[in-house]
Amino acid sequence: MRSLLDFIVRHSYVFLFVLLETLSLIFLFGFNDRQKEAYLTSANSVSGTLLEWRSGIERYFGLNKENATLVEENSRLRDLLYQYVDSQYVQTARELSSDRTVAARVIDNSIRKDNNYITIDKGSLDGVAKGMGVYNPDGVVGVVMLTGKRYSIVMPVLNSNTSISCKVKGSDSFGFLEWQGGDPYKAHIVDMPYHSSVQRGDTIVTTGFSSVFPEGIPVGVVSGVEHSRNGYTLKVQVTLAVDMSDLNWIYVHSLVRDPEIDKLYEQIKN
Amino acid sequence: MEPLSFMRRLGLMLGLVLLQVLILNRIALFGYVTPLFYIWMIVRFDSSMSRNSVLLWAFFTGLLVDLFGGTPGLNAASATFLAMFQPGMVKVFVPLDRHEIFVPGSSTMGNRAFWGYLLLTTALHHTVYFILLSIPLGDWSVLALKVVFSTLLTVVFMYAADYSAVKKGPKSVMVR
Repeated sequence: MRSLLDFIVRHSYVFLFVLLETLSLIFLFGFNDRQKEAYLTSANSVSGTLLEWRSGIERYFGLNKENATLVEENSRLRDLLYQYVDSQYVQTARELSSDRTVAARVIDNSIRKDNNYITIDKGSLDGVAKGMGVYNPDGVVGVVMLTGKRYSIVMPVLNSNTSISCKVKGSDSFGFLEWQGGDPYKAHIVDMPYHSSVQRGDTIVTTGFSSVFPEGIPVGVVSGVEHSRNGYTLKVQVTLAVDMSDLNWIYVHSLVRDPEIDKLYEQIKN
Repeated sequence: MEPLSFMRRLGLMLGLVLLQVLILNRIALFGYVTPLFYIWMIVRFDSSMSRNSVLLWAFFTGLLVDLFGGTPGLNAASATFLAMFQPGMVKVFVPLDRHEIFVPGSSTMGNRAFWGYLLLTTALHHTVYFILLSIPLGDWSVLALKVVFSTLLTVVFMYAADYSAVKKGPKSVMVR
């Protein structure tokens, strides 16, 4: 008995090792509920504050590039403003004024996992809500998945659960943008009709079919086309318009849809 | 080289965790290669520490990186794994006297042995880290690329840290 106790005391570090590894693996595999994981790790205020510090350090080093992007976008918006002032399309102007756009800063971002998430510094107090579309001046970034009071989690294009309705610019051929892990600069459009006239170099934009994104936000450029395994649809490889590894400012967009459309969707569900 | 006091070790741990989560986690060369420099803490554990305290320091260092890096359990598991084998790895490169207090470094091990020690410990940690990160395992070639290049980058960071410590600190006696 005594020798057994001696053995246990002498090798206590082995038991401690097993205990600590077990704990770590419980943490690792116990948070499979992705929403819970994202919330626990990024949307709480302790993490949020720390992530804001980090974001501050990074922004300092990227100010020149950031300024150039903002100037470019300001100029584009000014052009659009003039167009709308001169425009006779009163209806379009009214619709635009009912949309809401919130500018937010990215304070945490990952591109290496199979399911990546982005944390932004705006939450429900700023009018951000689940399901809103997120983009930056280059194009589509993702969709708001979860909101806290001051922070929100965005499910970006680089997440295997993301599916965004998009089409070839200038045509009606559409499909769904998906990402299956790996290269953070490439994604695929699946379920594009077989007869679609899509070629390398074509620009892919959002369709505007849903209330997440308005029509025409850039998604990327076609870099390859192949037949799907089912033989009825095309699988289109897209080089993403947005460099997900270099995100600073983004816009959260709420497209206000006619309530009648929502009512119809509700009826289908019921 | 003197072993660190509790407070200095705590300071080193917090400093390395902050450096990792605030800056190094954002480095992703070619989308794959990330230095995991916080393991410098574990690589430098001296021979006066008990096996239990080595494991506990490593576990909590990894857990802090996880807490603020959005990877619950990933770094805690891989850092604890490294800590379990770190004392044995020192002995692979340097025959230790039982009563000698030994801090791994180029000044105590010699350059060649220290490079070998860094490569072996880092490769072990990164292999565990990237396997856990990539579950369910799919593309083995990408996994191997991540391990190899991240190991090289982390080793370069650690060698630079050792070099600056040697330049700043007092001259030490070589073991061999």
